Amino acid sequence: MEIRIKGLTRHYYSEGKQIKALDGVDLTIPANKIFTLLGPSGCGKTTLLRCIVGLETPDAGEIYIGDDLVWSSEKGIFVPPENRGLGMVFQTYAIWPHMNVFDNVAYPLQTSKTPKDKIRQQVAKALKFVQLDGFENRPATKLSGGQQQRVALARALVAEPKVILFDEPLSNLDAKLREETRKELRSFLTELKITAIYVTHDRIEALALSDLIAVMRSGKIIEIGDPKKIYFNSDDKFVADFIGRANLIKGKVEKLDGEHAIFASEIGSIVALNSQKIPVGQNAMLCVRPEFIRLAPEQAAEGQNIFSGKMESLIFIGEAYEGEIRIGETLLTTTIEPTENIVEGDTIFISFDPDHCFLLST
Amino acid sequence: MKKMFVLLLGFVLLPGLFTTVQAAEKMNFYANITAIQPIMDEFNAGQDIDGIYTRISTSKYLATVLTEFSAGKLQADVLQSPLPIMQMLKEKGVLAPYKSPAAAGYPAWAQQDDTIIQFGIEYVAPIYNKDLVKPEDVPTRYEDLTDPKWYNKMVMPDPSSHATTISWLVGLKEAKIFGNDTSWRKFLKGLAANKPMFVKSFGPTPAPIESGEKVLGISMPKYIISKAPAPLDWARVDTLLGTPRGIAISANAPNPKAAKVFVDYWLSQNAMQLLATKVGEYVLAPGVFPPIDGISQVKVLPIRSLSDDEIRSWGKEFRKIFYAK
Amino acid sequence: MFKKPTLTTTLIVIVGFLTLCPVIMLLLGSFSQDFVSFGQFTTVKYVEAYTDPDFAAILWNTVIFTVGSALVATLLALFLAYVNTRTDLPFKFIFKVIAIVPMMIPHILFSVSWVLLLNPSNGTLNRLLMDLFGLKDALFDIYTLPGMILVEGLLDLPIAYLIIAPAMSAFDVSLEESSKVCGASNLRTLMRVTLPVLRPAILASAILVIVRSLASFAVPSVIGMPGRIYVLSTHIYRNIASGFAADFGKAAAIGMSALAASITLIYIYRYLTSESGKFVTISSRGFKPTLIKLKNAKYPLFVIVGILSFVLIVLPVMVLFYTSMLPYSMVPSAKAFSMMSWNNWVEVLKDPISLLSLKNSLFLGVVGATIGTTLSIFVSYVIVKIRSTASGILESLSFLSFSFPGIVIGVGFMWFFVRTPIYGTLTALLIGYIATYLPYGIRPISSAFVQIHSHLEESSRVCGAGPFYTMRRIVIPLLIPGIVSGWILMASMFLRELTLSVVLSRPGTEVLAVQILHFAEDGLWGKLSALGIIMIFISSLLVILAAVLGNKLTKMEVVNK
Repeated sequence: MEIRIKGLTRHYYSEGKQIKALDGVDLTIPANKIFTLLGPSGCGKTTLLRCIVGLETPDAGEIYIGDDLVWSSEKGIFVPPENRGLGMVFQTYAIWPHMNVFDNVAYPLQTSKTPKDKIRQQVAKALKFVQLDGFENRPATKLSGGQQQRVALARALVAEPKVILFDEPLSNLDAKLREETRKELRSFLTELKITAIYVTHDRIEALALSDLIAVMRSGKIIEIGDPKKIYFNSDDKFVADFIGRANLIKGKVEKLDGEHAIFASEIGSIVALNSQKIPVGQNAMLCVRPEFIRLAPEQAAEGQNIFSGKMESLIFIGEAYEGEIRIGETLLTTTIEPTENIVEGDTIFISFDPDHCFLLST
Repeated sequence: MKKMFVLLLGFVLLPGLFTTVQAAEKMNFYANITAIQPIMDEFNAGQDIDGIYTRISTSKYLATVLTEFSAGKLQADVLQSPLPIMQMLKEKGVLAPYKSPAAAGYPAWAQQDDTIIQFGIEYVAPIYNKDLVKPEDVPTRYEDLTDPKWYNKMVMPDPSSHATTISWLVGLKEAKIFGNDTSWRKFLKGLAANKPMFVKSFGPTPAPIESGEKVLGISMPKYIISKAPAPLDWARVDTLLGTPRGIAISANAPNPKAAKVFVDYWLSQNAMQLLATKVGEYVLAPGVFPPIDGISQVKVLPIRSLSDDEIRSWGKEFRKIFYAK
Repeated sequence: MFKKPTLTTTLIVIVGFLTLCPVIMLLLGSFSQDFVSFGQFTTVKYVEAYTDPDFAAILWNTVIFTVGSALVATLLALFLAYVNTRTDLPFKFIFKVIAIVPMMIPHILFSVSWVLLLNPSNGTLNRLLMDLFGLKDALFDIYTLPGMILVEGLLDLPIAYLIIAPAMSAFDVSLEESSKVCGASNLRTLMRVTLPVLRPAILASAILVIVRSLASFAVPSVIGMPGRIYVLSTHIYRNIASGFAADFGKAAAIGMSALAASITLIYIYRYLTSESGKFVTISSRGFKPTLIKLKNAKYPLFVIVGILSFVLIVLPVMVLFYTSMLPYSMVPSAKAFSMMSWNNWVEVLKDPISLLSLKNSLFLGVVGATIGTTLSIFVSYVIVKIRSTASGILESLSFLSFSFPGIVIGVGFMWFFVRTPIYGTLTALLIGYIATYLPYGIRPISSAFVQIHSHLEESSRVCGAGPFYTMRRIVIPLLIPGIVSGWILMASMFLRELTLSVVLSRPGTEVLAVQILHFAEDGLWGKLSALGIIMIFISSLLVILAAVLGNKLTKMEVVNK
C-alpha cells in the first residue's frame, strides 16, 4: 500500500522555544518496498513515523494510507491509530510483561474479535515465521532481547497489515545479534511483500535493509534514493557525509569530460564523477570514501589521480587498518588491507578511482 | 466515555433514593445531651410517634442548626442545647413559643422564658480517684485545689478555649465563691501554678483520673454514674455551678403536635428520673436527684449566659494566666 | 491516547465540582460577617486569625510536626517496603499487613493507646523501663513534639508504605543489576540507583503525609493539647470552641494557609518530577524483581523488623484490646485483670445504632473506594501522561478539600450539601468521602502510572485496540499494585472516616467513626476500643480481599486465559 504525505508540519515548544520537528514534509512511500527514514537524532524521523501511525497529531498537512485519508488538518480528519490497520515494532519492543508470548502475539486479533480457532492458527503461523514456534506459553519477561524483538515482529505481522513500521528496532541489541537480526528482517520483509517503513540513525542498517532511503535533517527530507545512489552518488554534501565516512576535498571544476570532470583541488588535479553537472569555474567539493582510496605502486607515481603522501597514523582494527594520510594540509582517512607492509611515517602513493569519487556543489 | 460517567453517576445516586424515602409520624430531636437512648426508647414505647435522636456536639450545634434553618431544611421538631445556644437560636427565629404544663413544678427562673424551658444544669465539680486520694486529702473547698500537693496531678478542659469551662471559671467569680475578685484571681493563679493537664473538653477528663495518670480533675459528677464502677467521687464543696440546659420547639417543626407531646414527656417526672438515674444528669424537676451521694444536699447554681464576645475575651485573659511560663 | 482535551476537561469539571464547592463555601464564609449565612463582606476574620500573638510559634510547631511526621513515615515505609519486596526476609506477609494496620485504627484510639503506654506519670512502658533499670523518672514523655511526631508518623506510615511499596516492587531490576555489575555493593546500589529512581514515589508519599498531618486533629488534640503544644489544627479548634457560636468562617480563614501550603507543595512536587520519562522503569524486561539474599543478616534483620513492628504497631493494638476488656481505664495490675470481661463487646454488638453504622460504613467503604479508585485511574492518567497546564490544575484540584483541616472542611461540605437534595443521605457522605480523599486513590495509582512506558499502551493502540480496550487489557493490569494500594487506602479511610461524617451523618446514616467519637465524648473507652477493634478487623478483611483479588488479577494475565 502506498503512503502519501503532503505538507506535514509539527511544532514543539520546549523551554519557550519553537522547535520544528516536521517542516512541511512531502513524501510518497511506494507500495511493497522497504523504505527507510534515516537521519541523526532529533531530525524528526520518529515524529514522522508516529504521525503516520497516529500516535502523534501533526499541526498541518495530510496523510493518506492507500486511498484513505487518515489525517487532514484542513478537513478535520483524524483516524485513531487502532483504525489505521498498521503494524509496528517499537524501539523498546513494548512487549507486555504481564502476558505470555501467545497473548502478546494474539492481541491484535483479539481486538478485532477474530474466532478463537483462527487466532490460534494465525499466532502459530506468525510465531513459526519468526522461528519462535513452541514459545507460546513462555512468560514475556523470560525472553532474551532478540526473542522479544521477534515476538514484537510476530505481533506486528499477525493481523497481516498492509504496512509495517519499525522504530529503531535493533538499537537495543548487541552488535553481533544486531547484524544477524538485520539479515533475518531483510529476508522476512522481502518474503512478505509488504510496505515497510523503517526508522533508524544507523547508516549500515539503512544501507543493508532498504529498497529506498530518505535522509532527514531538521524536520525536512533532503534526499531520497536507493542505497547505492545515496552512498555512491549523493546529491547533497550532508547526505554524503552522513551515509558513510567520507573525505571531502575543496576545489574548483576545471574542465568537463562527459560524465566526468577535471577538478582542481588542494592536493592536485583529480578526475571525478560529475553527475550534478557542475559547470566549469564553480567551487565544489570532492567526496571520496575511505575504502576507495587505494594504495598505488610506486612506479605509477605520475599517473592519473595518483598522489603521494605521508602515513600519519595507522590503527589495526582486525579486518583492516584504518589510516590517515597527509597530503600537504589535507588529511584523508582510508582503509588499508591488513596484509600491506606499511608503518607510520612511510611515504606512500594513493590513487582515486574516477568512478568512485564524486563532486558535490557547495 | 460518556456511558461510563452516566454509570458512575447512577451508582452514586442510587443509595440516595433509598435513604430519602421516609415513613410518616416522626419527631426529630436535635440534642447535644448524650446517652439519652433509654429515655428515647421509653418515649417510643409509649406512643405511635417515632422519636429520632440526632446527636450534635456543642461546637457544631449552632452552625448545623442555622445552616439547615437558612436553607429551609431544618428537620428538627424539638431542639435541646446549652442555654446560651438556645438563646441565640431564639434570636434568629428558629424557635417557637411553648409553655409546657409539665414544667409546672420547676423553679421559677427555669420556666420564666416563653420559649426556652431550662430543665437541667451541666454541673461541674472537682472529681478525684477514690483509690489514690486519701480521705483526709480530699478537697472540701475550691481553694484546696491550689494546694501545691496537686502539682502535676490534675486534669481539666483547656481554660483558654473551652467555652463551658471559661463560663464556669467566670461563674465562680460572679457567684462570689471566694468572696472577692482578688481571692478569685489568687485561686486562678494557684490553679495554674499546679500545672493541670489540659484536654479538649470534659469528655476526656475522667479517663486520666480513673487510670491514675492524674488523681484529681475539674470534671462532671455525672461520670460517677456513667463510668461506674470506676473509682470516681466528687469533692464535697458547698456550691456547684453549671451551664443550664434548655429545650424548645422548632418554629418550622414538620410535626408540631408530636413536638409538644415530646417536650411534655421530656419534662415529666418520669423522664427526668430516667435522665438522673441512667445518665447522672442534674435536673430541675422537683425532688429528682441523680443517685450520687451528697448531690441532693449541695447547692447547684446556673451560670449566667455569657455572650461569645465575653467568653472570648475571658479566654484570652485565662490564656495569659494558665499558659504563663 | 484519548482525545486529550475532552478527557482533561471532563475530569476537571467532575473533580472541580467535587472539591471546589465546599472550598468556595468556606471562602465565602471566611469573608462574611455572619458565621452561617453569607452576608456582608469583611476581612475582619483574616485580620483576627493572623494577628494572634502566638501565631508565629504555632506555625513553627506545625512545620516541625508535619515535616517530622513525613520523615518518620517515609523512612519507616522505605525500610519496610524494601525488606518486604526486595529481600528474602522470613514471614514477610506478616510485616506487609502490619505496615498498613495503623491505617485502620481510628486515630483517636491509636493516640490514646500511646498515651497509656508513654505518659510520664504512669505510662505502662515507662513504668516497665523504670522498674527494669531502677530509674527515678519516666524515660519518655509522650506529651511533647517528638511524641506527637512519632504517633502521627506511625499513623501515616500506611500512606507512605502503600505508595512506596508498589513502586519498589515494579522496579526494573536491570537498573540495579547494571549497578552491581559495575562493582557497587548492595548498599551503594540502594543509595545511588534505587532511591533516586524511586524519587517520585518518595516525594509523593512525603507530600501526602505532610498535607495529611497538617489536617490531622486527633494527635494534636489528644497528645499536643495536654503538652500545651498547639499546631494549626488545634489552633483552629481553639478559635471554634471558645464561644458557643462556633465561628467556622474564622476557622476557614486560618485553614486557607494550610490550603496555600498544600498547593505550593503540589507544584513543587510537579516541578521536581517534571522529567517523568526519567522515572519510567517498567519496560518489557524485569517486571518481577529478583530478591536480594540476606544470608547472615537474615535473622538479625528479622529480629529488628519484628521488634520494630511489635513496639510501634502491635503493642498499641494490644493496649486497645486490653482496654476493651475493662470497665474503665486502668493500668495493668492484678485488680485490672480480675475485672476483665466481654461486657463492652456484648453491649457494642447488641447496640442497634452500632450495627447500623457498621453496615453503612461497610457500604461506604466498598462502594466508595471502588468509585473512588475508578475516578482516580482516569485522573492519574491525565496527571501523568498529559503534562499540561490543565493537568496541573486537575492535580491541585484533587488536593483541595483533602488539604483543608478536617474540622473545617466538614462544615464546608455541610454548607454545600444543604443546598442540594442529597443532604442528610448516605449519598452525600459517599460524594464527600470521594471528593476529600481522592488523593489516596490518585497518589499510589499515578506513581504506578509513571512507571509504565508509554510504548506499552501505544503499541496496543497500533494493534487495533481502542482507548478503553487498552485501559482494560494493558494499563489496568500493569497498574494493579497501585490500584490495590489506592483501593485499600480509600476503603480503610472511608471505614474510619470521622471529620466529614460527624457533620453530615444523621439518624439512619450513622457511621462507625461517629459512633466511636460519641463513645469518646462520653469517655467510654472500653466500648470505644471494642468497636475500634471490630473496625480494624473489618478493614483487615477488606485489605486481604483486595490483596488476594489483586494477586489473582495479575496472575490471570500471566498464566493463560
